[in-house]
Amino acid sequence: MRIIIQELRKEFKILLAYPIEIAFWIISPILWVIPLIFQGKALIGGLQSSAFGNLAGTSEYIPYVLIGAIFSTYMFSAVWSMGNSLRNEMFYGTLEHILSAPVRPIYLLLGKGLYNSILSTVFVVAQILICIVIFGLSITLSKIVPMLFFLLLLLIGLYGVGFIAAALTLLVKEAHGLLHMFEYVLFLFSPIRYPVEVHPVTRAISVFIPLTYALIALRGILLGLKYDFWQTSLYLFALDCAIVPLGIVIFNLIEKKTKTRGTLAHY
Amino acid sequence: MSHKKNIILENLIKVFKKRSDEVRAVDDVSLEIKEGELFGLLGPNGAGKTTLIKCISTLLIADGGTVIVGGYDIRKDPLAVRKMIGVLTGGERSLYWKLTPLENLRYFAALYGVPKKNTNSRIDYLLSLMNLTEKAHYRVEKLSSGMKQKLSLARTLIHDPPILLIDEPTLGLDPYFARFMRQFIKTELHQRLKKTILLTTHYMMEADELCERVAFMNRGKIRALDTPASFKKIMPEEQILEVKCLGELDRSLFTQLKESTSLHLKKQDGFSYIRMNTDNPETLLSDVVDLVRDKAKVLSVLVTSPTLEDVFVHLTGATLDE
Repeated sequence: MRIIIQELRKEFKILLAYPIEIAFWIISPILWVIPLIFQGKALIGGLQSSAFGNLAGTSEYIPYVLIGAIFSTYMFSAVWSMGNSLRNEMFYGTLEHILSAPVRPIYLLLGKGLYNSILSTVFVVAQILICIVIFGLSITLSKIVPMLFFLLLLLIGLYGVGFIAAALTLLVKEAHGLLHMFEYVLFLFSPIRYPVEVHPVTRAISVFIPLTYALIALRGILLGLKYDFWQTSLYLFALDCAIVPLGIVIFNLIEKKTKTRGTLAHY
Repeated sequence: MSHKKNIILENLIKVFKKRSDEVRAVDDVSLEIKEGELFGLLGPNGAGKTTLIKCISTLLIADGGTVIVGGYDIRKDPLAVRKMIGVLTGGERSLYWKLTPLENLRYFAALYGVPKKNTNSRIDYLLSLMNLTEKAHYRVEKLSSGMKQKLSLARTLIHDPPILLIDEPTLGLDPYFARFMRQFIKTELHQRLKKTILLTTHYMMEADELCERVAFMNRGKIRALDTPASFKKIMPEEQILEVKCLGELDRSLFTQLKESTSLHLKKQDGFSYIRMNTDNPETLLSDVVDLVRDKAKVLSVLVTSPTLEDVFVHLTGATLDE
């Protein structure tokens, strides 16, 4: 636990040294949300669309998309930031020194994951506040508790995804392109901006992505859409139980491979 | 649990493959470094020294052979090995430049398992030892190269490891910090704290000054292993005559010299550097002065005993610059 906390502290202290990045984290929730609202208004002329309602089970297009866009922050943060965190250590020149410490690398990744989760939560809360102000979205305590429950289940699964992303950056040194690809594949097959029922392939692949179930639950809670609490929880939990060990196994295998090939700290 | 503090390598092999090419960076290396010994691994760039250190520190997985560190096999118990060792590599790039020395050491203390109650006193002690107490709250990026290297050394020592792997400790340092580093390794780490130290360097003078035993490494293999004094004894009983001249001289000029067994001539920026082995330096000097009189001006003359570098050249036929 001490290692995870120290990792978290280190990452935040390094962030404080980059004021532009802090400014980005403050401003970007607004920049991310506003275009979605404008896009919705331009496309359907208001908040609701009956054509959309036939597919998604709700005609409230903009709130539907906003919830997807806001909570997908966690998934992209897991892929992009956790994956890139080891790349940053390579850049600093410290990767070999943290990997020669008597600690399992997975704990370091957990610390980095926690750092990204906190930043993402700040980002998400800021966006929700914007939605409350603009749309009069009401969030009561009865909504917050199940929301947090599903977010927790989502985060656990996404840590597994993050471990895989981190492993890929150890293996492939041109990590940016690979992570972007990974990110966009997840984007394509998750119900972020559209229901995955829009195409049979997206529907089939989306069942393996934790964000799918989290968004079903979160839209159910926030928009009052029909969903099965226990079934959705169970699916998400089962996915977590599969993805986290898979992520750890993949990371350990790739770490071993790079140590054999001698490419661990190549930049 | 074993309390041994030695390093044993048996038939260690590390091969790097790239498509059809295969480089045997460490080729069947066996050696034992005793508890409390300051052992030097010498060789030119690309000899395999750093690869060897990375294998011992578990950053590379060897393709064959055995490594036992402090009684632990690196394959079976890498975490126990990592607790026993401190690794100094990479110089100033091994720290977080956006953090202060205090923050860096606090982070690495947690990472290397220093008990929480001892962390502050250990950090204070190390900062004071390195004369960095006043810089404790400055960002590392504001420190000089020498200070960064001192801080890297403090980071290496944070968990008080009994075994140290030190890779090229004075590379890129100015003479003042290089001297500090050599002095610190010898008096503090070796003599006072009795650490077991494996030091790699391509500065022969450094190994000569610091190490109890040295191994010459070239093309992945240990070519010879002995004490510096014993190595020098294997050289023919000759002295080295070094002459620096203003003017570029031709090698053919020296072919008629009878008093020298070898000649190294280096021409650079209008100067010639002549280095010859001889058992009669006075006669040879007189002959050289006669030969170069009309072509160059003799600027300096030095008669020395063979160094480890001469031994290395004698044994391997290669030079450290290769």
